[in-house]
Amino acid sequence: MIALAVSARDLTVHYGRRRVFQRVSFDLGVGQSLGVIGPNGSGKTTLLRALAGLLTLRAGELRINGLSPHDAYERTGIAYFAGDATLPGSVRAARWGSLGNGDAVTLDTRPIRALSRGTRQLLGLRTALGRQPLGLIILDEPWEGLDPDAARWLSTILETKRDRGAGVVLSSHRLHDLAGLCDMYLFLLPRQATLVQSHDIAPGAPVTADLLAETFDRLRGDASSLRAVS
Amino acid sequence: MKRGLYLLRFFLVVSPLSGLVVWTFGLLVVAASVLIVVAPERTAGALAPLLLLQMFAASSGFAVPARRGHYDLLLTRSGGRTSIALAHWLTSISTGVASWLILASVEALASGRASISLASGTCAAVALVSTIPWAVTIGLPRFSGGIGWLLVLTLAGITFSPGGIDWLSFHSDRHDTLVASWGFFVYPTAAVGRHLTMSDTVVVAPALLVAVGSMAIACAWVRRAALPLEAAQ
Repeated sequence: MIALAVSARDLTVHYGRRRVFQRVSFDLGVGQSLGVIGPNGSGKTTLLRALAGLLTLRAGELRINGLSPHDAYERTGIAYFAGDATLPGSVRAARWGSLGNGDAVTLDTRPIRALSRGTRQLLGLRTALGRQPLGLIILDEPWEGLDPDAARWLSTILETKRDRGAGVVLSSHRLHDLAGLCDMYLFLLPRQATLVQSHDIAPGAPVTADLLAETFDRLRGDASSLRAVS
Repeated sequence: MKRGLYLLRFFLVVSPLSGLVVWTFGLLVVAASVLIVVAPERTAGALAPLLLLQMFAASSGFAVPARRGHYDLLLTRSGGRTSIALAHWLTSISTGVASWLILASVEALASGRASISLASGTCAAVALVSTIPWAVTIGLPRFSGGIGWLLVLTLAGITFSPGGIDWLSFHSDRHDTLVASWGFFVYPTAAVGRHLTMSDTVVVAPALLVAVGSMAIACAWVRRAALPLEAAQ
């Protein structure tokens, strides 16, 4: 088991002059999972990319095991996948699959662009998650395009890796997939980010998609009222 | 060592070179080999298109595929971004360098020695076209460095010598050093086949220093670059 803690303090990211999100804070303990929920354009992808160390923070501090993301790569296996669109279309599927841990993820020799969207998504997920050891998993909309069997496989493997001590950060619009899988949820809204523990959403009971949607709507309403007042 | 091998393996799979460039190198090698065997005195001319193509091959561009997420798997592994940048450079230039060495072998077989292909001037020219275009294109789309170089060459030709391009030929004895250095920098192909003398070295050195400096700046850029996903901006 790899000891891991992600500590995010007041993270702020800008693209040029445009602020994507600001003052996002959370702590992710060993074997915990965080679900990031928000409308399109709220900065979910950007937040996950910042967690993966691929973006420069305008402000705030990010630590993985007490190290900066770049230094953490050396000691903590990080699996990051941002969707099938990030796979290079001209590369053959089998060759891409071998880049994970060296094992064959697929025997399909077609170029990635010739695969269906779900197959591409599955290839990307299997390759990223094939790394060993794995201390932190960061997946952006991982269930997109997957058929029910593949979606179940993904949920199961995420639960298994989390139970073995990996930290998991997921973003998804599919609330029924996130519900029950995460220990806490970060609701990203324009100008506002709210972290809610699952036991605060459903005390003593599993979190459901309906409860997540309800919480999201309430926070969005609160945010609208605040904007109206200000 | 294992890390370095993974870097090279990654860029062999996700090649910075397009298939078209690789095929063109193949065709050029065949054509140039025939020319070297049939007319050995034209070996320098046979190497010139190779240098031009290498200029474009080295202009492979790092930022665009990185911002499309193609390198995410690599960038979130250990290894350090400087090593990633150097592996990207090596794989960008490897086909061109291999083609050059094949032609040197052909020349050696045909003439007994590779006096043109491996002349110090040729080596300097290959070094120049294999470094500066890569460094210039690091944050730009593919081929930008090659296109920019052609523009500079054309503009310099018009500006300095409206009547011809004689100033581009490698004459360390006729021009003052600055002009000769500029000539080599803009048109390194002129040095192909030349065995550099001490005075030639003074002409070549500034361009090679610029090459080393540009590589260092490009590696520093890769080390610090923010790589937002194109679709997320």
